[in-house]
Amino acid sequence: MKRSPLHQTNAALGARFVDFGGWEMPVQYESVLAEHRAVRNSVGFFDVTHLGRFELTGPGAHHAIRKLLCNDIERVEPGHSQYTMILNESGGIIDDMINWWWAPDEFWVLPNAANQQRVMDAFAAQPGCTLADLQMSTVLIALQGPHAKDVFEDILGAAPGRFRLVRTEWEGGCISMAGTGYTGESGGEICTDPNTGVKLTEALVEAGVTPCGLGARDTLRLEAGLALWGEDIDETTTPYEAGINFAVSLDHEFVGRETLVRQKAHGVGRKLTGFVLQDRGIPRHGYKIRTSAGGRGDVTSGNMSPMLGTGIGMAYISPPPDMEADAIEVEIRDRWVPGRLATPPFHKV
Amino acid sequence: MQIPEGLLYNHEHEWIQRKDGSVVRIGVSDYAQDQLGDVVYVELPVDGSTVAKDDLLVEIESTKSVGEVYAPFAGTVVAVNQAVADSPELVNTSPYDDGWLVEIDVAGGFSEAGLLDATAYKDLTE
Repeated sequence: MKRSPLHQTNAALGARFVDFGGWEMPVQYESVLAEHRAVRNSVGFFDVTHLGRFELTGPGAHHAIRKLLCNDIERVEPGHSQYTMILNESGGIIDDMINWWWAPDEFWVLPNAANQQRVMDAFAAQPGCTLADLQMSTVLIALQGPHAKDVFEDILGAAPGRFRLVRTEWEGGCISMAGTGYTGESGGEICTDPNTGVKLTEALVEAGVTPCGLGARDTLRLEAGLALWGEDIDETTTPYEAGINFAVSLDHEFVGRETLVRQKAHGVGRKLTGFVLQDRGIPRHGYKIRTSAGGRGDVTSGNMSPMLGTGIGMAYISPPPDMEADAIEVEIRDRWVPGRLATPPFHKV
Repeated sequence: MQIPEGLLYNHEHEWIQRKDGSVVRIGVSDYAQDQLGDVVYVELPVDGSTVAKDDLLVEIESTKSVGEVYAPFAGTVVAVNQAVADSPELVNTSPYDDGWLVEIDVAGGFSEAGLLDATAYKDLTE
């Protein structure tokens, strides 16, 4: 099992660990609910060193990015990051990822932990691309919450704007960061060397920032309506079925485009849809859902919303439901629990 | 980890408190709630229902997982703690008192056979 260079620091902070994609990572410190609320109301940090990341350079880098990914990097410019996906020929999502675009021919690609090798292999097969794995030589820390900007400025002297990249020196180390995250709150993700990462973690704790584990990261991303690869999206689902339309640009050629053009013209047969339960019960992955209009589907993610205090989830519903008109029920242990459709972020509905 | 004297325990990390006659009160131990993490939902059996030994008695869901409490005895459910259905976090904050789950009138009378005292249960959790 791989361990983050921050493992000892996390353990000293009271972390409990879980196996996540071959990494032993903090699942919680004090309490998932307390950590969740800290990020919604104030600020928290997460060790996300398990996430994939590699550097992509070379004369073919920019072309490979445009050819393999369904969002168009030309929508932004160097100095920005972008959410995007790599699709198979049928439009299925091989992985979703964030790209950090440093310079015309210099990218950092951040796939999901489980897909690092596969995504690296796809880029390595493209001409003119040079890859360097960053996963084992760096740490990645997410700083998230409405007060994150203050913490960035107080400790690091700079805060990345939304999707912006910043590089700075701190305590003798090089800090690279992007205004991104996976919680629905503002903040950023910080990549640095292990020694600087330990010092930064200590500085964050000193500043009163709450250490958070992957348990809270999951409830936060679900409440924000952010899809999780392997749960809500995978190679059998397309971006349009998953409702991730904002990260598709049909204006350029890319692998999987034909399916998406067809789905855009004819519509999708099922759609990943958010819902909120109106009675007690917690929806979980694999539970059945039905709509008042006869739609059927399966829950892909579900939990209790710590901010709403009710069960929330996402499900592929076929045919796509009428968000305004249709009521839903989720089968929880032989009981159909009533609910309503809702467009995330759930805590702002 | 709190393991009060005077209660009995089983290998499934439930505690059993003898009440009047053949009635016992059942809950989960401090160790069990700690392993579960933040409890956000408790589904209790219907008051008055009959249960066989090892039947699913209570479902306890945390933000991380679903935990199951199986009936340690056959019998009749004679009380359920509605407070934990309304405030599931009582299982975390007060596992031995306010967070109790159900009371069962044990069929054929209560026996301590197979149960652990606090000292033996402490050994189990270490």
